[in-house]
This record gives sequence, C-alpha cells and structure tokens, in this order.
Amino acid sequence: MARMKFLCDIERCIACNGCVVACKEGHQLPVGINRRRVVIINEGQPGEKSISIACMHCSDAPCIAVCPVGAIYQREDGIVLVNKDICIGCGYCFMACPFGAPQFPRGNAFGARGAMDKCTFCAGGPAPTFSEKERRLYGQNRIAEGKVPLCAGMCSTKALLAGDGAVIADIFRERVARRGSGIAWGWSKAYKE
Amino acid sequence: MTNSMNDIRHSRCIFMIGSNAAEAHPVALQHILYAKEVNGAPLIVVDPRFTKLAAKATEYVRIRPGTDTAFLMGLINYIIENDWHDKEFIRTRVAGFEEMRKVAAHYTPEVVEDITGISKEQLARVAKLLATYRPGTVIWCMGITQHHIGSSNTRACCILQLVLGNMGVSGGGTNIFRGHDNVQGATDVCVLSHSLPAYYGLKEGAWKHWCKVWGVDFEWIKSRFHNKEYLHKKGFTLARWYEGVIQEDKITQYTPIKAVVFWGCASNSQSQYHKLKRALDKLDLVVIIDPFPTTTAAMCEKDNVYILPSTSQYETEGSVTSSSRQAQWRYKVVDPIYESKTDYEIMEEFVKRFGFADKFYKNIKKVPEDVTREIARGALTIGLCGWLPERIKKHTDNWHTFDVDTLQAKGGPCDGEYYGLPWPCWTETHPGTPILYDISKPVTKGGLPFRARFGTEYTYPDGRKENLLAAPGVANPGSEVKGGYPEFPGWKTDINVIKEALKRGMAPFGNARARCYCWNFPDPVPVHREPLHSPRSDLIKKYPTYPDKPDHYRVYTRFASEQKVALSKEFPLILITGRMVEHMGGGAETRSNKYLAELAPEMYAEINIKVANDYGIRDGEYFWIESPEGGKIKVKAKVTDRVDEKTIFLPFHFGGFFMGKSLAHNYPEGHVPYALGEPANIVTNYGYDIITQIQATKEGLCRIRKA
Repeated sequence: MARMKFLCDIERCIACNGCVVACKEGHQLPVGINRRRVVIINEGQPGEKSISIACMHCSDAPCIAVCPVGAIYQREDGIVLVNKDICIGCGYCFMACPFGAPQFPRGNAFGARGAMDKCTFCAGGPAPTFSEKERRLYGQNRIAEGKVPLCAGMCSTKALLAGDGAVIADIFRERVARRGSGIAWGWSKAYKE
Repeated sequence: MTNSMNDIRHSRCIFMIGSNAAEAHPVALQHILYAKEVNGAPLIVVDPRFTKLAAKATEYVRIRPGTDTAFLMGLINYIIENDWHDKEFIRTRVAGFEEMRKVAAHYTPEVVEDITGISKEQLARVAKLLATYRPGTVIWCMGITQHHIGSSNTRACCILQLVLGNMGVSGGGTNIFRGHDNVQGATDVCVLSHSLPAYYGLKEGAWKHWCKVWGVDFEWIKSRFHNKEYLHKKGFTLARWYEGVIQEDKITQYTPIKAVVFWGCASNSQSQYHKLKRALDKLDLVVIIDPFPTTTAAMCEKDNVYILPSTSQYETEGSVTSSSRQAQWRYKVVDPIYESKTDYEIMEEFVKRFGFADKFYKNIKKVPEDVTREIARGALTIGLCGWLPERIKKHTDNWHTFDVDTLQAKGGPCDGEYYGLPWPCWTETHPGTPILYDISKPVTKGGLPFRARFGTEYTYPDGRKENLLAAPGVANPGSEVKGGYPEFPGWKTDINVIKEALKRGMAPFGNARARCYCWNFPDPVPVHREPLHSPRSDLIKKYPTYPDKPDHYRVYTRFASEQKVALSKEFPLILITGRMVEHMGGGAETRSNKYLAELAPEMYAEINIKVANDYGIRDGEYFWIESPEGGKIKVKAKVTDRVDEKTIFLPFHFGGFFMGKSLAHNYPEGHVPYALGEPANIVTNYGYDIITQIQATKEGLCRIRKA
C-alpha cells in the first residue's frame, strides 16, 4: 500500500506562498488558520533557505500518542486526520508536534479553543466522503478524487512534492544525484525509516 | 524575450540583472532552477538587494543602484581583453564592434569597482563564468529599465550577448520577463503614446496603413486631431502625464490635460505620487474602470470621479500574449457578476455615445474574435498575420500535445507548430518563431535572421565604412540569397510581399547585422552616467547625465539641471523599490484578497541593522522617509540584511494612506481593502529615461527620521 508523504525540496522552494494560498482558498479556511506555512531562515544572508511546512503525517505520530480523547487517527496510507466531533481542543497535540501543525480557532472568550484543525493531505475527514459535513469541517477530499493535494499541485517550482513516499523519494533522489547535494528536510524526524 | 521561458531549460549559464523573478515571476523559476540543477548552470544574480532570487544564486553580485551599464561594459571589456569573445559570430552578424570596443576599454576592472562597488575579483569571476558556460541567457526586468539611462542598460545587456555569441541559439538570448500574462500583448498593440499598434510609429504611412486595416478614411482620422502636427506628435507618457495638469515642468501642448481614464491601471505605481495626487484633485474628470475601487479612487478628494465596475479576466474572453511572444485564448469561466460589464461592453457603450460606432466596428461583427482578426490583418511588422482566433484556440485546446522542452507539437492537430505561435508568425500556415534571430532553421520553419532596419551601409564618425548586412554565407537554410540582404520593399503593409519572401526562403525584413553602435541614440555605445540623484557626488563630474530635454513627450524634462552635487549630503540614503510575491502591481486586487492580505498585511521598508541602529529605529517601529521632492511616508521598519548599509527598499504595492493619513474613508462603503499602506512612490524621485521616459525609481535618494 502506498505511504503518503510530503517532501519540500529546499533547493527549489522560493517562498512564493503559492502553497499556502492554494490551501486556504481551496479549503475556504478562516483567516488565522494556517494548515501550511512557509518559513524563511537566514533571510538576506548567503545560505538563506525557505521551506513549506504542514503536518508531515508522521509514522508513530506524537499527536496521536498524546491525544487524551483519541480524536486523532492514522489511515492505512499514513494520512493523519482529526475527528472534530471528538476533539476537545486541549492543545496537547500542539505541544507534541515537532512541526507546529495543529491549528486552533482563536477569538473565543477566555482563550477557549475550538476543535483542532490541521492539514488533511486534502483527504477530507471522518465524515462521509464528499458529504457537506466533510467539506464544512475538513475541506475538500481530493485524495478520494484521485488528485494530489492542492499545495503540491500549485507549487510553481515543483519544490513541494506530495504522494506515495516511494515515488516522491525517487524523484528527489534523482534530483539530488543530478545536482550532487541535498537532504530531504524533516524526513529523519518524521519518518525514521 | 528573444527565447521563451521554457527554452531557459537549455541554458548552460543564467545571468539575471535587475530581476527578482522569484517574487515577480515565480512560475518562471521552475525553468531556471531546472537549468541550474540539470545542466549545472551557474545562476548569477546581480542586484543591489539580496533577494529571494539571490538566495538561489550560485554567485550573488551586490551592485550600487544605477551602475548597471558600467558593470556590463566592464564584463564586455574583460571578455574581449581575454580574447573570450565569439569572433566568428561578430565577424558575420555584428556591426559596430570596433567602435563599441573602444568605448568599453574605459571600463577596466578598477574603474568598474570604483563605480559599482563590485570587486575586481568578482567581475573577473563572473566574466569567466559567462565565457566558459555557453550558451547562456541574460535575463532582466525593471531593475535595468527604470533608470535615466535605462535604454543604455538594456542595450549593454544585448551587446554582452552579441559579444558572447549567445544570440539566436537555444539556451541563449536576451530574455526580459514581462509582468502578467498580457503585458507583452499590451505592448504589441501599443497602449503607449509614441506609436500606432505593432510598432508602426506615428508617421503618415503608419496612419494610412492602419486606416486601411480599420476601413476608415484617413482624412476623417486626421480631422479628429487638434491639427496635423498632433497626428504625428508623441503624446504624454504614463510616467509624466500629470505634468500636463499641474505644469511644474513646462508642457508643449496647446491645452492642459482636463480628464484622465484609468482602465485597469494602478496610479500608485507612478513615481512622485504626491504630485500625481495634485493632478487628480485638479482635473475636471477622473474615470476609473476596474473590478475594484482602486487606490486612485481613494486618492481623489475632489468630486470628479466616476468608477465603472469592469469584470475580471474570468468573466470574459479573448487572446492574451505571454512574455515569450505566445498567444493563448483565455476562455470565459463564469458570467459577469453583479452590475459589472466586460471591457468590450464598456468600450462599446462609449463608442456609441461618441457617435462613431459605424467606423469603429466596421470590421467587427463578433467580439472578440473579429478584434483578433483585425490585429492579424494589421500587425505585419511583428508577424501577427498568422494569429487567427481559430488557430489560437486550437493551440490552447490542445496544449497537452506540445513538448515542454521545445514547445513544438508532436502529432495531433497542431503537428510541428510551436505553442502559442510565438511571433513573428508570418502567415496562416507559419509554425511561429520560438527563438528570434536563429539562422539554423529555415524561415518557414521558425528561423529568423537579424532585421535590416537601418539600411545597408554606415559610415562611423572616424570614417570607417561598414556593410550592415550579414556576411556572405550566413543565411537561413533554404534562403535564395546565401548571405545578407536588405528588407523587401513594402513588407510592412502588404501580406503578399511577406508571402513572396517566405516562398524564397527569406525573411521579409532582411538579413542584417545586430548593431553595437546605435547612431540614433544619444549614446551610440552605452556609457555610464551617474543617477540624477547620486550618492557619489565625486563621480558626477566625470560621468554627468544628459542636457535637459525640452520637449520629451510633450513635457520639459530635466537632466543636467536636476543633477545636484550637494544633494546626497541632505539625502544620504539610496532608495529603491520593487515587488513582493504576495501582491500584484498597485495591489487593488491582491490587497482586497483576505488570504494575501493576511500574508502581507502591512507596508514596510527594508532597512539594514546598522542604519536602523544609527537612527535609533527598532524592528517594527514606524519611521519617516522623505524624498528630495517633498514626498514623505510613515512606514514600519523591517530590519534585514537584504539591503546594505546605504540602501532603503520599499515594496510599491500599497495604497490607501497618504503622507501619514489614512484615506480609508474615501473608499465606497464595504470596499476598503484588507491591507492598506503608504504608496512607496510618494517618495520615489524625479528622473526619467532619455529615450523612453520610463521613471527612474531604482536609483533615488532619501532621508529618514524616527517617527
């Protein structure tokens, strides 16, 4: 079975934020919810790098391990999803995640958090596939339509790859062999194997 | 662009100067990074600012703003001195090389280092890279053009490619990235004041040609003008039209300007914006045609504004031209929403009320197809003759049949043609010209020589005579004449002449040499001239600007009288502007998009940590920037290493504030953009190109103080 992964090629990412806007627009997210972000390090200095980050859909995902109500689960293809009907908004997952993926709606009284929201790998959620409830709570389900996630589909330089881990690793390996350097950012932390 | 975006995949070296394509043309980066990775092409980025593009460079060159010509001539000189120039290419296809070489000899590595701030060692390294990795592409944008010597800068880029023999080959060329999808198309139909569509100029022959195409009487057209002089007189430009209203500089027109129409144009992209505002508040009439109430609308504080809501590109259709000279059909996605009208409808309503609909629509029964057909009938100079709506649609509908590397269709309904029929597409069966000046292919298959635009022979001031036609033996395969030849008489106005030329395997516009020495320019060979507002007062005497130009597009334009040696004492910092990826142009559309506004919500100024500390300005604090012309803006400091210790950078997409005051209350209710900010152009300086009059926004001065 395919194991879905993200890979952002830092030699290619130009910090155009196309992935971020594609995600927000495609899923009609509220302002302030960032399922995906672009981070720039060493801005303006030689060695400046940028990278697009979202939920990495980790193997042995720490968010699943710490969730006190079992709201987060992993599909067979590796995609990690949250059930918003169960989530109590405690924020443990946010503390546990090494990538800062979990997002919480803001603006409620007394700082109360609503249900956690995060990247779904464009695979919708536990509500019936293509249902109105799924769209409202989790956004589009492009995986069920046989399409790549919006962010990777939008990427102008093909820096952000999404799909079967074996396939995208091959694409990346070929690039690295050609240009002679580079590491897949975050893979050692996220996937271990 | 002489080549295409896709063709950059074949480059073995990429030289980008005055371009931050990573933010301004992010999609083009896929081809650039492909060449960098697959061909191992060095990516040389020359910019005063360490941009997002510079972050991807293998060689970053920090240059003092306004000294591009000095650097480029320095490279050319160094390449020739080391005998790295392409002697065979120069012998057969280049004119004026000797004259150019003499001028370039002044720009030794030492001289260049003093002018540009680029070390001798780095100049040598870059020259060596350019010479070693061929073919290489030279890419530039507004960082090269927006100077008082912008036209010299562009020519120096072209000469560099001629010297390297990088013209007319895949992977080479001079590639100027245009803005969004139809900037090239707008240039081709010439929404400019100095020419009729397709670069015909304004002489009587040009008018008569187009009158024939439009099917209207030349005498009637003539009668529409104030008098015959104005039929042929260049108009005001976008950069300086407001002088026609406020007349700070003397105008050469019988009347001041009384009305202005902004049709999809952002006024906050024009320099000295505080003066433009004075014009807006003085005019009898301001018409804004746009999907959004723009910054211009908010800037008008007199009751003289009409806003006509037009549709977005998704609610209408027609052909658009890409930066690579390719046409594509843009189909309608949805019907116009609310009360907005398409640009075609708005134009039609105007024309009807003006009372010349019968003449205007003589050949146009179906919009927009018949408009495209009329352009094809008239634009012979650039070979749009083959751009029929059916063909353009066929390409768009079958784009999957074209090869991403060569742009050529393999099989299918467009077999053998190049995607989008890159112009010149001489006839209804011509496949398009993917690379300009490529003599390896027959003209009928997309090959092209250099144009014989300036006669067949020229005598230089020192008495040397040179044949301007290509050397014997140099012509496209299948050419009846195996060598240089002049243009075919009448090719610009008669399609039959073009067809005859092609039948003989020849280019209608001749086969000549590219000129390094342009006698019709104020500087026949590009030379460095200090910016009007220069931080290097010691260099002004040695490299002065031009004399003033009294009638430059109908307005007195100051050069020498504006170049003051003492100015940099009062205004010690260099001011440059540019783009950010989140916003587009004047930002009317993007600042009204909640997600883009969230990503880039505020106007800011990039300031180096040293400057910030010297002035006591902390990151995120407001400070004032003031221009020599009296403009001032209050902006947030973004302390960053992107700029050096002499430079302030401003993105120019913001609007809705004016010299510290919010203009939010001037927008129609419910239409205030999510992101408002001071327009950078309030503080951009006086200064215009000597030929084109483009504003010199990439070489100004300013001073700052804590708010």
